[in-house]
Amino acid sequence: MTLTLDTPKIVQTRPLLQVRDVSKSYGPVQAVRNVSAHAYPGEVLGIVGESGSGKSTLLRMMNLEEIPDTGSYTLDLPDVSGNLFELDRFARRMLCATKIGIVYQNPHLGLLMKHSSSGNVAERLLVAGERSFATLRQAATEALDASEFPLDRLDAPPIELSGGMQQRVQLAKAIALEPALLLLDEPTTGLDVSVQALVLDTLKRLQQDRHITMVIVSHDLGVIRTLADRVMVMRRGEVVETGLADQIFQDPQHPYTQQLVHAKL
Amino acid sequence: MSLSTLTKPWEAMSYGFLDGSAKRELRRKMLKSVAVPGCQTPYASREVPMARGWGTGGLQVSLTLVNPQTRVKVIDQGADDSVNAASIRRFISRVAGTPTTMDTLEADLIQSRHRIPEEILREDQVLVLQVPNPEPLRPVQPNMSIARQMHADADYGRMWLQLYEQIVRSGRVMQGASYPSLVHGRHVMTPSPIPRWDVPKLHMAKHLTILSAGREKRIFAVPPYTKVEPLVFSDVPYKVEEHGHLTCTRSGATGFFMNEIPQDDGSSAFEVSDSEWGVKTIRARDGEGESRGETWYKDGEMSE
Amino acid sequence: MAYVATRGGERAIEQSERLFREEMGGFDRQRVEEVKKSLPYLIDRVMGEASLYDEDLAALALAQTGGELYEAVLLLRAWRTTQPRLQVAEPIEQDTLFTHRRISAAFKDIPGGQVLGPTLDYAHRILATDVLQGEGYAPEPVEPAANPSPAYQPSVSAWQAENDLLEQPTPDGTTGNDIPDLTREPLLFPSKRAHTLQSLARAETGGVLALGYAAMRGYGQAHPTVNELRLAEAEIAVTHPDGRQFSAGRVKVSQAEVVDKKGEKLGIGYAATLGWNEVKCISAATLDLNSPGAEKGSATEEEFFLYHTEGVESSGFCIHFKLPHYVTFQSSLDAMRDAKAKKAEQSKSSDMEPAE
Repeated sequence: MTLTLDTPKIVQTRPLLQVRDVSKSYGPVQAVRNVSAHAYPGEVLGIVGESGSGKSTLLRMMNLEEIPDTGSYTLDLPDVSGNLFELDRFARRMLCATKIGIVYQNPHLGLLMKHSSSGNVAERLLVAGERSFATLRQAATEALDASEFPLDRLDAPPIELSGGMQQRVQLAKAIALEPALLLLDEPTTGLDVSVQALVLDTLKRLQQDRHITMVIVSHDLGVIRTLADRVMVMRRGEVVETGLADQIFQDPQHPYTQQLVHAKL
Repeated sequence: MSLSTLTKPWEAMSYGFLDGSAKRELRRKMLKSVAVPGCQTPYASREVPMARGWGTGGLQVSLTLVNPQTRVKVIDQGADDSVNAASIRRFISRVAGTPTTMDTLEADLIQSRHRIPEEILREDQVLVLQVPNPEPLRPVQPNMSIARQMHADADYGRMWLQLYEQIVRSGRVMQGASYPSLVHGRHVMTPSPIPRWDVPKLHMAKHLTILSAGREKRIFAVPPYTKVEPLVFSDVPYKVEEHGHLTCTRSGATGFFMNEIPQDDGSSAFEVSDSEWGVKTIRARDGEGESRGETWYKDGEMSE
Repeated sequence: MAYVATRGGERAIEQSERLFREEMGGFDRQRVEEVKKSLPYLIDRVMGEASLYDEDLAALALAQTGGELYEAVLLLRAWRTTQPRLQVAEPIEQDTLFTHRRISAAFKDIPGGQVLGPTLDYAHRILATDVLQGEGYAPEPVEPAANPSPAYQPSVSAWQAENDLLEQPTPDGTTGNDIPDLTREPLLFPSKRAHTLQSLARAETGGVLALGYAAMRGYGQAHPTVNELRLAEAEIAVTHPDGRQFSAGRVKVSQAEVVDKKGEKLGIGYAATLGWNEVKCISAATLDLNSPGAEKGSATEEEFFLYHTEGVESSGFCIHFKLPHYVTFQSSLDAMRDAKAKKAEQSKSSDMEPAE
């Protein structure tokens, strides 16, 4: 395992993202219970857990698609203040469009399957107010290029693309506006193992080049291990353990984490 | 109180067909739509003795605005003598006793289906445009309740994306008529299916334009001196139909929006679409006097 | 003035209407009476869709349009527009309906009994061609039942609510002029309950059937059981300005309750119309049953079915496509030609590249 010896990210004093004490119930089912999470600028937070652990609900909250019953959410960014869960629909939409990027496991959630790939990326910039066709075109091309998407398929609709390519379009769309926060919901689940490795490479490279703060949710420890600096383990709507990635993988404390890690290794 | 105080002497029909409560609602909704330019205001839209989709929205506005002195002009696809224009004109004058005219300059109120006359309208004139589909977002969002929310949020990303996609696919914006336009910098509206040629005439116009969709029950307005900007990318200019160089085979008028008439030999002849402008041009040519007013387009170009 | 000479619009439309009228021939009071007497179910359908209860006017509209149903309904709706709203009648409760026919498919028997009433349901559908040979057709006399059914009955859902099988909707206390009126207010979504029921009541029968049938066949989430179908007459009770209540007459009404299991309780869909319109009531109630939680844009979503079953609007829009559209067409043509020219230019320049 290679260690990058940049400035330790943990030294930063103010987290970029802070979620405090969020709880959310769907009828009798409590999906998330008193969960708190934070991520420092440039850090990659991995959230691991099995399906039904509440990890995806938490991620959707970070994208303001889901508003919890209780709890708060702040992003330490210029022009952004207060509990983001309290924003009105308009402010929420603008914030999501300009500051947060997301890649879903299911590309249908993130993409217009019959529009061009470049158009999918350009829409982000259009929402943010870009009105020059040439600029849109160039920005979309650059974002797709950064996601290692083949540029000869620039205007192909996602519906005609492979799963891995669709994820690259989602990724390009997510990073087109250089968001402060990139959310990844099982971005490689369902892809062939070889394709999965390529997409992970791209994500890793992007992270190193751009120092984007990322939150990645996965049930796959391998994915988390490849990308995350810090890991949160969730089970039945609660956080059971949290720590630096190495720590979690080398020396898991909670029995559930131990079980997970050992099952994997 | 007795029944006789609750009723009034029997009349076959109210003045202008619509009863007082219908007109009151329309006046209120018109005021509202003038106050919020380009924003679609829902209204009850009563049934009138004409099929939905045949100008019932425009008709309700016209019937509410007219008095027995209002000089009414009605056009359909640019022509005063088109069958439906004739029918509407006849109806308005039958139920409201209004004088009618075909001369744009003489008209106080012009109800039109899909054209704005070529002569510049004045501050004392009202243009009523019939609207089949008031929702510019319909192609990207057919659900009316969601579309309404998108207008509230000025959420027009999809609208722009549509233009982007057209340029990518066809090399140009393919929108023909009903070119979506931003009104007063806030609401995107459809100017009704007028050709692109006519949209610039709405921008900072002196006259009031009321757009009314009877079937879809929405009314909206462009008040005088209001910005109407077609949605265009900053580096892909708005293009009106290339009619500036065409000449009308009947009147010899050049530089106006034309109807194309296919010929037996495979070619096309052109006739000026604003029929009254054609008539005036013929009169001038035949020495019957000049009656033409100032036009928005000069030498086939929109003048500043 | 050659241009002016071509202005034939006014004359053309006048003559085309004359031609239509001439081919149909004249009609008079007697024709209207005959239509009213011989076609009561058609009259009911027209009154329902016009949301105007007047058999004479409905018969007149049919006679005047030669039975062009959409035209007949439009005539009545347009006439209705001109009428002031003088009074709002008292609400009608199920147990005050004078019932002619009341059946339930949910139970073998129901309190008050299954009342078949007048129906063709069990008739053999054999065309009475004898009539064309000159034979008259005289209906067989009806033998009255030994024990006549009670004329007034609560609805089946009332019994089910008592037995905790379904949740009766909480009664809406709105009265008089405060009751939302679809003919005076626009339909907005989520729709007010009153608007939904009014819109279904005056919906176009074929349209409601088509969408309701789609839901019944499986494009809906709920499968209807006819809890109760009723044909009845309702007393129209209005209040005189001096405060006394009196009956302004009786109107024929029909209503349907359809149910489906929803967890531990029954879900219920409801529709009622002026006149006796069984197929429409069952279809409309099925749409109502399916609408809660229906996916946006699906045929059972309220916005979708209320918009698309509005007969005057849909038929009007359909026939409006007969109007000239050449300005719009010209505008599209221009964009198409230009795009084509651009493409040709592009391929020409790319053809030339290798030569450089």
